[in-house]
Amino acid sequence: MNIDSLNTSRFLRNDFKPRLARCELIAVTPTSISSDLEFRNWILKQPEGETLLRCYQCGRCTSACPIAEIDHSFNPRLFLEKVILADESLAENQLIWTCLTCEQCEVRCPEHVKIPQILILAKVRGLVSGNTPETALDRARSILSQGRTIQVSEPMLKTRDKMGLPSLGNPPVKQLAKALKELGLAEKLENIKSIYGGDGDE
Amino acid sequence: MSKAIEYTYFPGCMIPFRLPHFELTMREVLSRLNIELVADEGHSCCPEPTTFTGVDFEAWLTVGARNIAVSESTGRDTMALCSGCFHTLAMVGHTLQSDSKTRERINKRLKRIGMEATGEVTVKNILHVLHEDVGLDKIRKSIVQPLKDISIAAHYGCHLVRPIEATHMDDAEDPMWMEDLIEVTGAKPVDYPDKMACCGAPISPSDEPKSFVLAADKLRKIRDAGADAIVLVCPTCYTQMEMQQKKAIEHLGPEFSLPVLYLGEMMALAMGMSDLVVNNARRYHRVKLQPLLEKMGVGK
Ligand code: SF4
Ligand code: SF4
Repeated sequence: MNIDSLNTSRFLRNDFKPRLARCELIAVTPTSISSDLEFRNWILKQPEGETLLRCYQCGRCTSACPIAEIDHSFNPRLFLEKVILADESLAENQLIWTCLTCEQCEVRCPEHVKIPQILILAKVRGLVSGNTPETALDRARSILSQGRTIQVSEPMLKTRDKMGLPSLGNPPVKQLAKALKELGLAEKLENIKSIYGGDGDE
Repeated sequence: MSKAIEYTYFPGCMIPFRLPHFELTMREVLSRLNIELVADEGHSCCPEPTTFTGVDFEAWLTVGARNIAVSESTGRDTMALCSGCFHTLAMVGHTLQSDSKTRERINKRLKRIGMEATGEVTVKNILHVLHEDVGLDKIRKSIVQPLKDISIAAHYGCHLVRPIEATHMDDAEDPMWMEDLIEVTGAKPVDYPDKMACCGAPISPSDEPKSFVLAADKLRKIRDAGADAIVLVCPTCYTQMEMQQKKAIEHLGPEFSLPVLYLGEMMALAMGMSDLVVNNARRYHRVKLQPLLEKMGVGK
């Protein structure tokens, strides 16, 4: 039995906004469904992850979300449904990277579910499959190698000098590397290929 | 004059190297108010909260906690000018304080580099410093060139304000501190629909067209409300709504142009330091400031 189609019909009856009903029809057509309790348990163990359990699927988050407003396939309520049902396909869905982390949903959620945080955790799980924009990978590599998201150039330093702004030195990257070593992020970043393509903007 | 009040300045990446006129104007404004910003070379990228979190959340917490530890070692309150930096430091600080399991896990990593973070340091943004620490009365006394007949709309952006339990701002859905500052400069604050809507910038790495739809919508609503200019705090919002304004509003017509001021620029203008703004306008503003400055009576 297809878990998603079951829930589609359940929520179609309950959703009172026609816009939401349309979203379900568009969004719930996965090609493969993996139900992975390990995924849900991992989310629940992360900081703020257990707020997921408070979600009763009312859909207010979707009504408040500016991205759902312009893209009907983006539906935070449905994303949470997937996590609740331990469907890890969410981690490979490019839509999660169009969450603004604006927290409009969270301020309206009657249960204070940390919605953008749960989407962030899904993004983290998507890294191994390359569901990470190239720009995000570039910034992460730059943070690890220079301690800053951007390359600081000579002209930038000269401008600061001309403006009379103090020198800021160089971040202690060796220390950063030592503190982060056990996470193995540097090695992961070497091997990941982004499915987004492009060189990013940095 | 009495000894200046010092804050540990958290610089981040965007403001000091891409938009240094933010730092320049705000340092001068603060210095008039007897405040000095002291940088610490031990700080690194905060790390930025919109993409690095989704790459490795644990690494984000760890690097953020190391920055908190550096701040704690300075013994002063820390102030971040950038909303992204402020958000990260406030969130990580809040997590360290409220979640003891996470605090212990992160501190095990920091211990390897001889550091520890408690999360007890006070992390402020520029509105906390100006509105709460300095206070409107003191700022009012430093205004020498009131921005009369100018209407300004405040854009707060998301990460400066939410989540309220970590940011300690006045309100999550209708903050007013920036409007108060606009009023103190002599300008008229303009209210507009969906004031707390996002500028769209966080998703430009994954979906630039959508990010511009949001920016254009915001800019249109502000213009329709009758504002002469926008004032904001965040360098990412500035990049989106100022530097990229032309690209974002393509479909709104060629005559559309809405000047965007950094909060420090607005205050510098009202404090009689218009040179700081005028001299850097060409380099850091793509939307022409001249008509706005003329309306203010600057540069005549
Ligand atoms: S608003 Fe909250 S409770 Fe309702 S569906 Fe969204 S996350 Fe769940
Ligand atoms: S944080 Fe993400 S899901 Fe929530 S309202 Fe903003 S864009 Fe929508």
